Amino acid sequence: MVKTYTEKIQIHKSNKLAGLYPSVKFWVVILYTICTFVLGTIHLTDIGLSLLLIPWFLVIPVLCIASGAFGKCFKALKAVALIALIILVVQSFLVPGGEVLVKFGFVKICEKGLKTAISLSFMIMDIAGIFVWLFQTTENKEIARALEESGMNYKAAYVFTSTLQMIDILSENSKTIMNAQKARGVETEGNMIVRAKAFFPSLVPLILGAVIGSEERVLTLEARGFSLQGEKTHLFNLERSGAEKAVLATAIVITILVIAGRIALWVL
Amino acid sequence: MGTIIECKNVTYFYPLTKEPALKDLNLKIEQGKFYGVVGENGAGKTTFCALLRGFVPSFYKGELQGEVLVEGKKTTEYGGELSAKIGYVFQNPFTQISGVKDTVFEEVAYGLENFGIPVEEIERRVVEVMKLTDIEALAMKSPFDLSGGQMQRVALASVIVLEPDILIIDEPTSQLDPEGTESVFAIIKALKEKQKTIILVEHKIDLIAEYADEVLVFKGGEIIAAGDKREILSDMSLLEQGAALPQVAILGSKLKERGLPIGQIPVTEKQALEVIAKALEERKKQ
Amino acid sequence: MEKKKYSIKDDFSMLALLIIPVGVAVNFVGGQLASILKLPMYLDTIGTIFASMLCGPWVGAVTGALTNIVTGIANPVNFAFIPVNVLAGLVTGFLARGKMFSVWWKWIVSMLIMAAVSIVSSAPIVVLVYGGVTGSGTSIITAAAMAAGANIWAAFFGTEGIFTVLDRVISFIICWLVIKVIPPRTLIKFGCGSNYIKESK
Repeated sequence: MVKTYTEKIQIHKSNKLAGLYPSVKFWVVILYTICTFVLGTIHLTDIGLSLLLIPWFLVIPVLCIASGAFGKCFKALKAVALIALIILVVQSFLVPGGEVLVKFGFVKICEKGLKTAISLSFMIMDIAGIFVWLFQTTENKEIARALEESGMNYKAAYVFTSTLQMIDILSENSKTIMNAQKARGVETEGNMIVRAKAFFPSLVPLILGAVIGSEERVLTLEARGFSLQGEKTHLFNLERSGAEKAVLATAIVITILVIAGRIALWVL
Repeated sequence: MGTIIECKNVTYFYPLTKEPALKDLNLKIEQGKFYGVVGENGAGKTTFCALLRGFVPSFYKGELQGEVLVEGKKTTEYGGELSAKIGYVFQNPFTQISGVKDTVFEEVAYGLENFGIPVEEIERRVVEVMKLTDIEALAMKSPFDLSGGQMQRVALASVIVLEPDILIIDEPTSQLDPEGTESVFAIIKALKEKQKTIILVEHKIDLIAEYADEVLVFKGGEIIAAGDKREILSDMSLLEQGAALPQVAILGSKLKERGLPIGQIPVTEKQALEVIAKALEERKKQ
Repeated sequence: MEKKKYSIKDDFSMLALLIIPVGVAVNFVGGQLASILKLPMYLDTIGTIFASMLCGPWVGAVTGALTNIVTGIANPVNFAFIPVNVLAGLVTGFLARGKMFSVWWKWIVSMLIMAAVSIVSSAPIVVLVYGGVTGSGTSIITAAAMAAGANIWAAFFGTEGIFTVLDRVISFIICWLVIKVIPPRTLIKFGCGSNYIKESK
């Protein structure tokens, strides 16, 4: 049988985790973040390092691999890891206070520095990491649709989706304009003033074109019934992978265990 | 057939201007007719289109005197529901994209989604219109990866699919080659056969002569001539006013001046062939 | 014209809604261009400033927030800076509404205010969330200053300060150049647009 176009534009995912309903993924993100904060308050070793945040991070690569999206996630995680690493290094070496733990020549690591270094950098790794999983396994179209389904105003949903497309288009246009300006002799290399000057002719026409275009786009949207009152239909619909309940239950159980563990440590 | 749109004493000023963009328009658009709108650049054709669609003054602001009635109700009293009555396609195809759809299929379907049409019906209608406008091969392409001509056809399809009773089309063929232009006119002709009221701005006067019923000639914001196309397009005095007329009409009138027994001046090639053949025959008889 | 009661909803006209995506994309492209040209500034709030100047504080704030949400999709660390961009939009928008961009001395005052707000609002985030370093070019200078014994806050303000003011000056000039060439007929459709039209009486 020939596939209808409506079928062709749907997103089917064979992976049960990647194909989770977006709002369920979002709950997983929230619960994971809560756990991260709770685990961050558990201080281990003599000087009270939040070491549990480190194994907790392992959840993320496991999730990404299980979702069949490790390649995509890895790229985004690298960017996050770089920031975390810089924070780790800078904090451990630069923040003074407490006992001096290690000392090579004039460089030294202090107790307080190491403490904030570990909790800060891994907190960022954990929270940013779970968002990476959410966004790398969910297409923009699904996010937009999920937002609308969760009661977001259709105008707001339009702005969100349109923004994602506009970024692609303007990036593309800026390349075209920049090449054209280069061809006209605008210098893009040299000292800072020269380079700063190149910034203007590249950006001004780009913004102007986009503004003028927006004016006509208002008419386009109005002509297509954008501000018509009443229910709208949607060709694209979100699908459930079937694992929603199991995943959500697991996430809730883990969160309860983490919180219970934290309370138990206090009591004991 | 009744009046579907009526302009009563309309004068319109764009914001910050002292010269009116439209002056003293009094006009009745009849249902089911095809109106060709011609005139020089800046004569007010596009403003006229925006006026009929109600974008003047709601979007363009400025000052509007007089009133425009669509099916007896003022355009200023309509809200979004005018989009279901009047289809509006304007010049620049590059800005006639919703900006939220990934494929041509979804782009064409966008208006129907807003109208709340059931999914199965959308599919059927969109496929039909894509066939009519010859863009089905592009269905799964991104609307941003199209040529100007393709975009123009997508823009047209996106409006036709809404099946409005009235269509306002502002220079739909500016980005098209002669072949594409012919195909667009074939589409418009098919729409006319479905009893749609069509208001078309077009510079290609020969095509207006061939397809339109009535012609409106604009100059300096005023309608300087309006009526049956054969009457208007054979009125040589309009040439002095800067309006373009079909080459065959000019030829016909020159031949008539030279004494060829031509009854009615032709405005299309087909008419010209008939008229001239007839005249030559009569001359032989004499 | 009769005066209607002002509501924030009026700010979000159809045109304003469409300027938001443009603003976010301009932020994005500006930031990219700045890094391609190796400029020591972010230049990633041009779109927010532009949207605020034309459509007022609330549209500007949304543009700012959405920028960090969207860039946060690729790098979630950006989520933390949402308040900075929102505040930039609000402040610029209120300045625009108060006609603080009409004469040259008001520009200078406005730009200093904008830069100050940006530094003051990003400082606590950079210092508290990241401990003073975000991994960008200028943060290395901050780190170096800290290593030399400077107080973390002082180090941050010193290095960020100069570049932030420069950043705002360039961003503002770009927005101004664009607004100057937008035809008045278009400009008037924006909430704050009429502020930039020279009266020709």
